Amino acid sequence: MRVAVTGTPGVGKTTATGRVDATLDVVNLNDLVRDEGLTSGTDADRGSLIADLDAVADRLAGRDDVLVESHLAHHLDADRVIVLRCRPDALESRLLERGESAEKAAENAEAEAIDVILSEAVDRHGLDSVYEIDTTDRSPESVAESIEAVLLGEREASAGTVDFTGYL
Amino acid sequence: MADETTWGIAHVYASFNNTIITVTDLTGAETIVKSSGGTVVKQNRDEASPYAAMQMAEVVAGEVQDAGIDGVHVRVRGPGGNLQKNPGPGAQATIRALARAGLEIGRIEDVTPTPHDGTRAPKNAGF
Ligand SMILES: Nc1ncnc2c1ncn2[C@@H]1O[C@H](COP(=O)(O)OP(=O)(O)O)[C@@H](O)[C@H]1O
Ligand SMILES: [Mg+2]
Repeated sequence: MRVAVTGTPGVGKTTATGRVDATLDVVNLNDLVRDEGLTSGTDADRGSLIADLDAVADRLAGRDDVLVESHLAHHLDADRVIVLRCRPDALESRLLERGESAEKAAENAEAEAIDVILSEAVDRHGLDSVYEIDTTDRSPESVAESIEAVLLGEREASAGTVDFTGYL
Repeated sequence: MADETTWGIAHVYASFNNTIITVTDLTGAETIVKSSGGTVVKQNRDEASPYAAMQMAEVVAGEVQDAGIDGVHVRVRGPGGNLQKNPGPGAQATIRALARAGLEIGRIEDVTPTPHDGTRAPKNAGF
């Protein structure tokens, strides 16, 4: 089974997936894109590499027992897509505490407030394959347990369970 | 023909199941009208957001005109809505409703924020 764990940067994907007890290999897509140069350009304004999603898909072709972790993960084929969520003000604080710039924290928080990644995930994978998990005010361990519940088939698909537009 | 239109900026935020509009002056500093998200939250997704968004846009258009603004440039953020394309029918319906209510529509820009973390997806990936 291939599982994607996606969500706006700062929702806690790397932290939570590092605590997931599963036999799946965890692949961090940001690292893979960067380390192997799977890019199609650079976004100078954002200091970001533009991922070449076709090259990434080819690179991971045939890798079925993986948990792919990244805000890009929902752009790949997957059997289940987990979308971690976090209240935008808390997300912004997490990013600032992680040492990110104010601009980067603010743009990601706004993206979280209007559900950019959730909408993309549902658009590509459909409501039956998407599992939304709100991480706000929860420990990484407890988020990891919710991820495990999805892997074990103990959780129903869900989307649109939070409304963060009040933080716009 | 002299352009005597007094312009504002309509910011349309289209989330997964909600649409919000704020209208500011041209600098973006002064908010003239802010739609109440409460009027459309928890709408039945099957009824789709365009209808609720249109109703809200009519109210907003009236308040904007009362404030002396007769045209808006539109800045859209968010694909919006379940299984909707970017910018979603929620956003498109909103713009049409603003126009139908008598507001002149100027430039329309998509300024959807991009999730990024050292990497980002290409523009419009998946749409
Ligand atoms: N459940 C949580 N509660 C509070 N802070 C968290 C939580 N999970 C992660 N963090 C912190 O938030 C920041 C972002 O977490 P990270 O795992 O790097 O997110 P992502 O991989 O989604 O970008 C880190 O500084 C991390 O220590
Ligand atoms: Mg990470």
